[in-house]
Parts: sequence; structure tokens; C-alpha cells
Amino acid sequence: MPVAASAIYFLNLRGDVLINRLYRDDVGGNMVDAFRTHIMQTKDLGTCPVRQIGGCSFLYMRISNVYIVTVVSSNANAACAFKFVVEAVALFKSYFGGAFDEDAIRNNFVLIYELLDEIMDFGYPQNLSPEILKLYITQEGVRSPFSTKAQDMRPPANATLQVTGAVGWRREGLVYKKNEVFLDIVESVNLLMSQKGNTLRCDVTGKILMKCFLSGMPDLKLGLNDKIGLEKEAQAKARPSRSGKTIELDDVTFHQCVNLTRFNTEKTVSFVPPDGEFELMKYRITEGINLPFRVLPSIKELGRTRMEVNVKVKSLFGAKMFALGVVVKVPVPKHTAKANFQVTAGRAKYNAALDALVWKVRKFPGGQTELTMSAEVELISTMVEKKPWTRPPIQMEFQVPMFTASGLRVRFLKVSLYLTSLLFKGLTLQLVLYTFAVCKANYREMEQVWEKSGYSTVEWVRYITRAGSYEIRC
Amino acid sequence: MNADNRKGELAELKAQLRQLAGSRAPGVEELKRELYKKVINYLTVGIDVSSLFSEMVMCSATSDLVLKKMCYLYVGNYARGHPDLALLTINFLQKDCQDDDPMIRGLALRSLCSLRVKNLVEYLVGPLQRGLKDNNGYVRSVAALGVLKLYHIAPSSCTENEFPVTLKALLLHDSDPQVVANCLYSLLEIWSMEGNSSEAALREKESLLSRNVILSLLNRFKDFSEWAQCLVLELVSKYVPEDAQETHDMMDLLDDRLQHANSAVVLATIKVFLHLTMSMAEVHQKVYERIKAPLLTLVSSGIAELSYAVLSHLHLLVLRAPVLFASDYKHFYCRYSDPSYVKKLKLEMLTAVANESNTYDIVTELSEYAANVDVTIARESIRAVGKIALQQYDVNAIVDRLLQFLEMEKDYVTAETLVLVKDLLRKYPQWSHDCIAVVGGVSSKSITEPKAKSALIWMLGEYAYDMNDAPYVLEGFVQNWAEEDFPEVRLELLTAVAKCFFKRPPETLKILGSALSYGLADANQDVHDRALLYYRLLQHSVEIAERVISPPKQAVSVFAGDQSIEIKDRIFDEFNSLSVVYRQPSYMFLDKDQRSPFTFSEDTGSSVLGPQSPEREDLASDYDTRDNELLLGAHEKEESRAVSNGSHGFSAPKSQTSQHDPFAPRSASPTQTAQPARATAASPQATVSSSAASPLLAVDDLLGLGPSIPAEPAPPVPQLKLNAKPVLDPASFKRKWGQLTVALTVEYTFPAEALHGLTGPQPLVRHMQANSVQCMASGNAPLKFFFFAQLSDAAPNSGFFLVELVVTTSSGLASAKIKADEASMAPAFADSLRSALSKFGP
Repeated sequence: MPVAASAIYFLNLRGDVLINRLYRDDVGGNMVDAFRTHIMQTKDLGTCPVRQIGGCSFLYMRISNVYIVTVVSSNANAACAFKFVVEAVALFKSYFGGAFDEDAIRNNFVLIYELLDEIMDFGYPQNLSPEILKLYITQEGVRSPFSTKAQDMRPPANATLQVTGAVGWRREGLVYKKNEVFLDIVESVNLLMSQKGNTLRCDVTGKILMKCFLSGMPDLKLGLNDKIGLEKEAQAKARPSRSGKTIELDDVTFHQCVNLTRFNTEKTVSFVPPDGEFELMKYRITEGINLPFRVLPSIKELGRTRMEVNVKVKSLFGAKMFALGVVVKVPVPKHTAKANFQVTAGRAKYNAALDALVWKVRKFPGGQTELTMSAEVELISTMVEKKPWTRPPIQMEFQVPMFTASGLRVRFLKVSLYLTSLLFKGLTLQLVLYTFAVCKANYREMEQVWEKSGYSTVEWVRYITRAGSYEIRC
Repeated sequence: MNADNRKGELAELKAQLRQLAGSRAPGVEELKRELYKKVINYLTVGIDVSSLFSEMVMCSATSDLVLKKMCYLYVGNYARGHPDLALLTINFLQKDCQDDDPMIRGLALRSLCSLRVKNLVEYLVGPLQRGLKDNNGYVRSVAALGVLKLYHIAPSSCTENEFPVTLKALLLHDSDPQVVANCLYSLLEIWSMEGNSSEAALREKESLLSRNVILSLLNRFKDFSEWAQCLVLELVSKYVPEDAQETHDMMDLLDDRLQHANSAVVLATIKVFLHLTMSMAEVHQKVYERIKAPLLTLVSSGIAELSYAVLSHLHLLVLRAPVLFASDYKHFYCRYSDPSYVKKLKLEMLTAVANESNTYDIVTELSEYAANVDVTIARESIRAVGKIALQQYDVNAIVDRLLQFLEMEKDYVTAETLVLVKDLLRKYPQWSHDCIAVVGGVSSKSITEPKAKSALIWMLGEYAYDMNDAPYVLEGFVQNWAEEDFPEVRLELLTAVAKCFFKRPPETLKILGSALSYGLADANQDVHDRALLYYRLLQHSVEIAERVISPPKQAVSVFAGDQSIEIKDRIFDEFNSLSVVYRQPSYMFLDKDQRSPFTFSEDTGSSVLGPQSPEREDLASDYDTRDNELLLGAHEKEESRAVSNGSHGFSAPKSQTSQHDPFAPRSASPTQTAQPARATAASPQATVSSSAASPLLAVDDLLGLGPSIPAEPAPPVPQLKLNAKPVLDPASFKRKWGQLTVALTVEYTFPAEALHGLTGPQPLVRHMQANSVQCMASGNAPLKFFFFAQLSDAAPNSGFFLVELVVTTSSGLASAKIKADEASMAPAFADSLRSALSKFGP
């Protein structure tokens, strides 16, 4: 059974309806009330995102300060329904330009209704691609871009799909003065470390984000230093692969623009990119991860009213690099009165709202640098026997530019262009325009002009590693 | 905003709209937009703006697309409740359906189909037919779903105009993938609803799974949008390939879908893989290997709700292939920031994948969660440790954990641990020494939860030999009898004191006395009765009392699983749907009758629709599912009864308190227990006779009740002799019901006084049982029964009569459908059935 949503509601945190779109008659009009009384006003809120009330299933998600509730009466596909909402929100964001929250919805509710009308019909998902939708859902109020005059029967939205084959995510005829490609490799390190300093769990989820401003229908090829790709290449060239670090990717998923058949046979990532910003691929790695930081905590409870906290953080990345926005949160009991700090760098203070000591270091140098924060915490002595304090883990936030915890690197990014001339209609001429070498500095510009075609591209590559859930038990 | 105020605003809006309707002044569109926005805003927050209908329609003559859309939205919302006004819109919608701009054609057609007014169906057919032939894909795709909408309003009009046939042709030949997808959506829905009444439609539905349809869809698979791919994959998962080669080809083709960024596509592909290879054990295993990585990636998608949906599926798979994920257990470690529903599922995963090699790590990790701030999760993790402990044999490690838990000195941790220890002891009595040592240190004052208290008291009674101070601890509990709020604890206390008495009489005698006197004075009926029972038993003979209250126990080897294999398989069949999330097959939660409190409040709409509203169709299909449910329900009830029956043997008094105890042993052969189980339903006395072997009978005697064997009225002498105790299990009943045709229909009207007794199904069930007609299943509202009876001289599994009886309580009319193995006997049976019904009275 596909989704077959009966209705979609957007509610704010108080339960006021922001958007209410009924797709089918098989649920009642007072579904919102059912949701409010049976889920929002009970303790169950947030205990389970799928609930059944009176024969209908409510699938709800909270996104910033909005609940999006999908009501289904059939045995719907839950994963699909959630994914649909996630994608829809992404679509709305691309329309509003950023935030998706109550205010944005209130300001754009007509647009949202319009979009909901297009992306779902009678409860079944339709086209959600922002690229295509933006062609005919504008708030301009003019008739669709495909003109209204009878003699001018230009292909309408969906026909674009047919004309360009499977390239439903890119429209034709784009022209940029300066052709640019931005590529960001963004990794999140997830770590769970035991009290004794053993790594219980560690993985990296990474994504490659791209921003393309390219004319025409370019064909891109991306080479990474992942194991399978390199081996394949070595085979093809009949020579041993170069020494150097190779990465084993546990799993990869690609944007729909990536030619998966070619990935499976040739192990190269090749694609015709959508225009603008998109997420090219996501990957997951569990082996051979370079942790950017090591945290050595020591927390002593001295009697009932005092605690001694000592946290040592050591950077493990290269000496030329540095981490930005390092935040270490050390949880302390609720009845903390105050804390006196001593830090070797940065600033630390007690945050009562978080029940934590928050130590911030704006710029953390690399190369085995060790910084420490020590604090004496005074607790309010209470008459009532407090329940023993369960120590939540220490959490850490950071960003390390030009560092990838997995060691993943871009080896090349080739941009070639399909040139379709009128004379050789149907023939595709592929021009390899540019081969890109691994970039060493942050945002180094590389430019080369293909003399004859007049098509030049500028490519930018950037790496960054962030903390996902970086937790150290103490 | 108060009502008057609102009325004023509406009137103002109305006036403004009216003013703008005819105006052609520049900038008027802008003004209209603002007004429309206001109207839509009111509509959203639930203010009734239907009074503006005619003004809205008047203003809709515009070329402004946004305005048009708002107007369509408005019309779609109110047309159903105001069919007369909806007629006003037909004109402009029809005009728009012929617009030059395909966008407008599509939009208008969609709105036209969304009016949901039965009277207007005639205006719909023409535009739909044109729409399906439109040269623009967008319009065609709108029309394809429009057909489905039409079907929901007027099924006959949809089929008469042969729309399904047209859709089928489009499905195979249209050039636009979205059109194909929408055709498929429509056809699937139309034919499965139509299929309830027509064989032809069923065949049509089957034909969607034919080779050429599937191949034509797969051949252009990559053209489909991600959502359409999900749909096609869902269809493909039901397809049975011709040979292994075809299976492999399909899997090769779809393999790259596992790398797709859209999690829905990935899950749908997984379903296809699993179902395609069901019959190929070796490949099936390989499929598990293949899907592991993508699944684990989906779990860490970062969107909690999605992770939840995926984890539910993963859980189902893990139960089917626990070994597979055993090495990946670290993926299921909880993050501090995970929402509790994700954590809960992860805990279940950890429990499921635990095996000898990873138990230590997993239990260590779970112990960390026991200290979690979130109490529910802490409890769940202790239970998880318990479940793992029950699978494993490493007593030392577990006892260490238990000690660790108890040392934490948190009430809820202690409470959960006690329950855990009790279950451990029931399975591994040989651990008693270690466990008792642990429990001995627990201060009874720190325990407040009834479950934990019961567990502790049970252990005190059971292991009175090993625990030196058992009588004294029990004494403490007895002294606080009056403060004990929970009857379950008091019941347990009675039993424990009695057991303790048998083991250590001199120390316990006094306590037993006071416990019994408290018990006899107890306000709770169960407690009172048990105290009385013990008292009389003890009076009669201490030995017999000991045999009854404290018989030697055998360890429980298998704890009752929560779900039967059959149900799990059905859930697996419904992979990638809510069934997996709810852990119930869909027929269990898709009962539309339950939805009655939330049905449409707009009565006007349904009255217009008349008796042939689209819901009628659903009802027909519902009946079927509900019947199935009844039957299955009976099956399960029987099982649960069998369970409680079986436990008599090992702990008779306990079984009375353990209705909610999931750890009762499961009976080995359901067929054997089926009979006494049914007897239980027949009459309480029958229980006694059927379980004569159990000590309960002796107890009955002791109480001086005498062997009260049924004083039932002797079955009336019917024209045919029926077996008094026929045996038929629900599955065979269902099969028979499916195979046989209706031999006879009998109608009978209950007299009014008999109806008074018919407040629920039970009275009639008992009455019919007295007449040798057994009940297989019954349901309330509407009162409905499945009965069966068997000829007394028939060979096993033959000579059955099956009856479906529906009673309309308002009129007292009962109509029965009789199916018989031997159709010739049906009239005779019908007579006896009628006479049996006529004897029913309050």
C-alpha cells in the first residue's frame, strides 16, 4: 500500500491549525481535535511518532515549532509517509529561502496550499522536485511559463521530463556567465566513549554537498579515494594502485541524478547535476576513523556539596589545522550553586538551563595541543535526600575545516559538456574540459579555459568535520 | 474573536468581494488576492466561510493563476456541503478544462473531480474523457487520478464509462511516467474495491501482476519519480517470477535502488528482494547480507521519525535472522539525544541480537542505560537485561549486574530488578542460591510498586528455606496489611505466608493466623475468597493443603512468546507498512467501525449522497476482514485460555493472579486443550469436570460444595442427533466456511422479552452450547456469531454444520446462514436451530 494520505495538517505547538489539507473523505473533519486531545495534550506526545486513534493512524513529526500530521486510514507505508514530509519540508524551505517555522508558514500559507495541491493528489505523492515545481508554481500570479497562446505549444512542465529523458531535475537552457561548481564534504563524527576511555561506538556519516552554476547540460564525474573506486581504476590501467590512504565506505546513497548503473559497473560517480544546491551523496564509515579530539574527564564528588571537575581535551588533527567553535558541555547536578573555573584557553561558565558547565574555545589549535578546564562546583546542600545523580555524558561540539575524520578526499572532479548541435541532432559530443587535482588549501580557486569551446568552469572544494553526537561518559 | 465580531467581518468580506466581482479596474487582482487570502485563512483555522460561496465564485472569473488556485481550494472545501452552490462552479470549471494552458486545464479538472458531489457526476465524465486523451502529460496524470475520485463518488458511472479500461491502456502505453504511476494508483484501488463484489475485477487486479505489465513497468523503471518507484516496487514485490533466472534479472535491475537517497525507495526495494527470494533459502540469506548496510544507513539518517519507522522494520528482520546483525550490535547503542521511542526500539534490537559472543558488551551497555535519567528507558533496559539473561547461561555475569542494579538504590531500578530476578528463578531454579543472596539485601521498605512487591513476596514464600529471615519479613508485610492498597499484593502475600508455613511451620504459624484473619475480613472479593479457601483447606488437612498451595515446581522452559508465528508471518507479508510499526497484521487495526466517533460531522453532505455513498463499498470489504478478525480472535483467546489452563499444574493459586503474567507456560498441544478451553466458556462447572485431574476438584469438595456437575437442561430431542462436544479449530472452520456454499438461510425473530437477555453475545453463546451448538466466535455491535455443530455419529472432521448468525438488536431479527458438510441434513438442522433459538429467554 502506498501512502494514500487522507489529510495533512500543520499545527503549531499550541495546537492551532496552520494548514489543513484534506485529500480524501474517509476521515472525519475533526481529526485535528482527535490529534489535540489524544496526542498533544497527553504525556504520549513524543513517545511515539505513529499513533492510532479511532481507526486512523496519525503520523506526526515536529519540525522546529510546527507539527506536521499525516492522517491515513489505510495500512500505509510509514517510512514513505515520513520521507514525504521530510522532502516536502525541504521543498518549502527552498521556496521560503531558509527557515521553516510557524511564522514562515503563516506568511506563505497560500503558497503552501498551492504546493500541497501539486505534490500530492488524492493522497498519493506526485512530483516533489523543486526544480520542476519552481517552473510553474511561482507566486507571480502570471499564467504558467508555457504561455497561453494556442500557436505556441511549448512543452509544459511534465513534458520537460520526456524531452530530456530521465533528467527531471534539471531544466534546459541554463546560461551562466561564470561556470562554477562548489563541492563541500561535510562529515559528522559520532562517538560514544566509555568512562575508561574505550571507544564503544564510533562512526562517520558524511555527505557531499554541491552547488552548481553551470550552463547547459554538463556531465560531471567525481573521483574519490575510496577503496572500490581506486581498485577499479587500477585494474583498468593495469597498474597497481598508488599507495596512500584508501577509504572503505560502508554504505553510500546518491542523489537521484547520479547514474547508479555506471556507479555499479565503473565505480565512478557521474551525474548531470541539478541547478543550484543539492546533496550529491551520503556515506557511512565505521572503520579507520581519525578522531579529531580526545577527551579525558575526571569528575570527583567531594562530599555532598562539592564536586571537582577536570576535563582535558587534546587535538589529534594536523598542526596546520585548527578547530572552530569548540564547546564542551560537562553535565552537573541540578542543585548546583556555582562553579569556579580555571581554563588554559577559552571561556567557561555554568549554565543553569542546561545543567552543565559550558566551556567554549573559539579556535582550537591542532597538533596534539592539550587544553584543560578545571572547575570547583559547589552544590546547594539540601535537606531532602536527593536521588543519586545519574551522570549524563559529556558532549562536545566542534568544526574542523579541511579535515575529514574518515580521510576521504576528492581526487578529481571532471566537468564535461553535452553539446547538441542542430546539425548533428541526437549526437552527443562530449568534451572533457577539465581535470581537477586534489585541492590543498581552503577554497583554492582553480581555473582553466578550454580554448575552443569557450566553456570554462571554476571548481571549489572544501572539507569540514563536525561533531555529530560526540559523547564521553564520565 | 467573538461571534458577532466575526459575523461582521464576514459580511464586510462579502460586500467587498461583491464589489470586486465585476470590476475590471487595474490592481483589482491584487485586492482580490488579499481578500481570498483572508477567506482561506479563516477556512484554515476552522471558521465557516461557506456563506461567501456565491461571491467567491463570482470573483473567480480571472486570469490570475494564484487567485484561481485559491478559489479552487475554497470550492473543493465547501462543495460537498453545498451541492446546490457547487453547481455554480461547474460552468467556470468546465470552461477552464478547455483552456489553452495545460496547467489550467489540469487544475480545473482536478478541482472538478474534487467537488465530491454526486449530482454533478454527469458534468464530470466528459472532461475526464477529454483529459485522459489530452496531449499534455500533466492533464493526463490529473485525469488518471480523477477517475479514482469519480469512482469514490459514483462507482457505477466510473465503470460504465469504461474508465478502468482506458487507464489500463494508458498504464501500458503512455509516454509520461507520472501518468503511468497515477493510472496504477487508480487501478489498484478501483479493482481491489470492485473485487469484493465482482470476480472479473479480481481477475483484473490479478492481471496487474501479470508478466507483461510488470516487465513493461520495470523496463522504464528509472524514468519514474522516486514515489512512483515506491509504488511500482510495491507491486513488483507481489509478483511471482517465472523462474530463478527471472528473479536474478530483476534483482540485478533493482540492485542499485538500494543506494538511492530516498529511504522509501530503499525500503521498498528491500521488500521486493525479500519477497522474491522467499522460496530460495540460500539467496534469501544473501539478500539479508546485501540489505544490511543500507538498512543500517537508514537508521542513522538523523531524522528520528524515519529512524523509528526503519528500526521497526529492522526489528522484524532481526527476529527472523538474529545472527545476521549480531556483529553490528554497536549500531543499536543509544545516543543520549535519541528520542525515547527510538531508544526503546534500539533496546529491543540489542535484546534480539544478543548471543554468546556479544552478550557481555551488550549487557554492559544496557547497564549504563539503567542509570539513565529517563525512567522509562531505565526500566526498559533492565527488562532487556532480564530477557537476555533468560536466553543465556552465564549466571555470574548476570548476578553481578543484578547486584550492580540493586546498589544503585533507585526505587524503580530495584523494583524492575526484583521482577527480573523472579522470572529468572522461575526458569533457572538452580540459581536460587546466587539470586537469593542478592535479594536478601533488599530493604522491603524501599519497594512501593505492586509488581515488585509481589515478586519479592513470591520469592520469600518460595525460598523460605534459603532466606533466613523470610518469616519475619513476611510478618512485616502482614502487619501492614491495612496499608496495602493493591489486592494483587495481598493475594500474593496470602499465598506466600501459606507456603512459608509449610516450610517453616513453627515460625510462621502465628503470622499465618493473622494473615488469614486479615484476609477473611478483606473487602476485596478475591482476597477474601482465597483466604477462605486456604482456611478451609488447612482445616481439612494440612497435607492436602500443601499439595494444593505449594506443589513442587518444575522450571518453566519456554515463556509464552508474545505473538504466534502465523501473525509474525502475516506482518512480514505486509512489510513496509504500518503493520510493522504496530506489530499487528493490518486486519487487526483497520477496523473502520471503530472510527465512528470521528466520522464526518457534516451530515448534510452524506444525506445528499444518499444510501449509495462510497463508504458502502468499504463496508462490504470490511465485513470480510471483520469476520476474519472474529475468527482469529477466537483462535487467540483459545490459546490464552489454554495457557492459563496449563499453568494449573504447577502453581494453582498463582494462576489466579497471573492473568497479566506473560510467563505462564505455553501448552504443548493446542488441540488437546482446545476442548477444555471451550468448556470453560460453556459454564464454570464444566471447568471442574474437564480439569478433574487438577487438585481444584478436591478443593471444591473441601468447601462442601459437592461435585456440582452441570444441572443443565437435557438437550431437547431434536430431529437429528448432534455431537455434544464437537471439536473444530478456527483454522479449519475458516477453511470450511470458504469451501462450502450457503445451504439454507433461516430467519427468526426474537420475542421482546428474549431480547432483553441479549445484551451481549455471551448469553446466547451459552444457550446454544446447551443445545449442542458450539460457538466459534462472536462479536458485539452488530451482534454476530459463528456457530458450529456436528452430527453425533459423524466421522471426525465431517458432518459439520456451520452457521453465521446476525442479530439486529433493534428489531430482534436474527438471520442465519447455514453451511453443511452434508447439505441434505441442512433442513433438519435448520429446524433444530430454530427450535433452539425459540427456547432462548432471559
